Amino acid sequence: MSHACHFFGLSGLYARFRATVNNIVTATFVCDRRTLPFRTEFSLAGTRCLLSTNSHNALRLSMPWQSVLNGCGANFFQMKIIESAAFESEASALPHFRGLGHLVFAMLGSKGFLNFDLLRRRVIGVLPPAAARDAHFWNTQLLPMTIGLLGTTVGVAPLHCACLDRDGSGLLVAGNSGAGKSTLTAALAKRGFAVVSDDWTYIRCQADKLLAHGMFAPVKLLPDTIRYFPELRHAEAKKTMNGEIAHEVDPTKMFRSKVKAQSDPKWILILERTRVAGCSFVPCRPETLTQFFEKNAEKLPQELPEALRMRSGIIRQLSACDCWVLRTGEDPMQTAAAIDTFLSEM
Amino acid sequence: MPLRDSANYQDPLDLLRRFIPTPYRTRFRVGGASVVVETNDFALLPELPLETESDESFPSNLSWKLVRDHDAHGLLQEPLHLMCGGLTVVAMGAACLLGVDRERRELVGFIGAEIDPRTFHESLVPLLCRLSLEALETDAAEWLDDWNEDAADA
Repeated sequence: MSHACHFFGLSGLYARFRATVNNIVTATFVCDRRTLPFRTEFSLAGTRCLLSTNSHNALRLSMPWQSVLNGCGANFFQMKIIESAAFESEASALPHFRGLGHLVFAMLGSKGFLNFDLLRRRVIGVLPPAAARDAHFWNTQLLPMTIGLLGTTVGVAPLHCACLDRDGSGLLVAGNSGAGKSTLTAALAKRGFAVVSDDWTYIRCQADKLLAHGMFAPVKLLPDTIRYFPELRHAEAKKTMNGEIAHEVDPTKMFRSKVKAQSDPKWILILERTRVAGCSFVPCRPETLTQFFEKNAEKLPQELPEALRMRSGIIRQLSACDCWVLRTGEDPMQTAAAIDTFLSEM
Repeated sequence: MPLRDSANYQDPLDLLRRFIPTPYRTRFRVGGASVVVETNDFALLPELPLETESDESFPSNLSWKLVRDHDAHGLLQEPLHLMCGGLTVVAMGAACLLGVDRERRELVGFIGAEIDPRTFHESLVPLLCRLSLEALETDAAEWLDDWNEDAADA
């Protein structure tokens, strides 16, 4: 559809406005029952996702996530996905996320476009066929970003930390950017800890008990960590979603480590690098831990007061875990060994 | 001058740029509707007829919040319209992301750094007007035709 028009303002001040429009509307997509005839539901971080789509690919890729529907909480959100060959975008464009109020936009370059409506607990989007059938994209990008953005509206607090499981007990590894959380996660995985999550962990409360969920996203290791992980010599570093060049590693393949979908958080370490040799575990007060997680959480809009209360409640509950500030001047392998020894003495 | 006072998005964490201040504010008339526009860039205030009702307590029919996004580069791409219930979303690449919530009577948008005032006024303002009138269930085509006729008569 193409049209041109002219506007003239009619204010009492005789201000004049003139514009010529040439909007070429090339792609219009409507999400309704007619355009999205297929329905299913699956589980993400203990919540129910109600998927409507026109895509057989999307249905197929949701199937592995359907197996964990039992034990899901009552909270749910909607996902409406249109697969269309009409979607076009610059292939080289990096993912671009923006939000205002309750709406969040995600331009995913050649992978598609999504909009998250936090008030209506709904994600709608258009994916080209290549992305709609790309299991890696669904499992490591689309689904994690969905629970990351909608989580607070369905009782899940996304926290910027890694989670590992040691004999059924969860260890959260937090720390400021650049502290080395991912490198330490990989080192702990090599020591036999099961990986639940690397960058983001999704915490929810079930029957007054906290559960930490992961999304099977890969562990992201920067190229310079090759000195600790010679296995990376055979892996290719690629541009990641945030534009960094990194190795995105599946710990089951790279380190033959275990992965778990969830764990009961018991211990929390706030990682700090120091130039002083050795590792020290300094007990951390609950209020310090609360402040740390609140400060590192994304600001939420005023339209979502319930989400803010829920997240703060989970953070307060987390502060009941045993928590230490871990100051380390050692390399990741030695730090992982020190953590292993420390926890075994608990 | 556009405001850049939220250049630090890390403390507190605001990766989505939700909290960029939008101190420039005015009221316009679009068709029969009163529209309040808030923005962080004076150049994004549209050249539309000003609302003559100066009383701030006078309710508006629709609010626009337009954010100049200094970190979004590139020019307008072909528009993608996505509609679901009372929500319409328009994406023209990272350079223009718009959302119109009919139930809340809100229009929000990010306008990229490389969208100059002329492109904004000639290409985007008419689109914003059309989306607004559709949101208010006004016959946008009729209103646009009226304005065009007035233009022809002028």
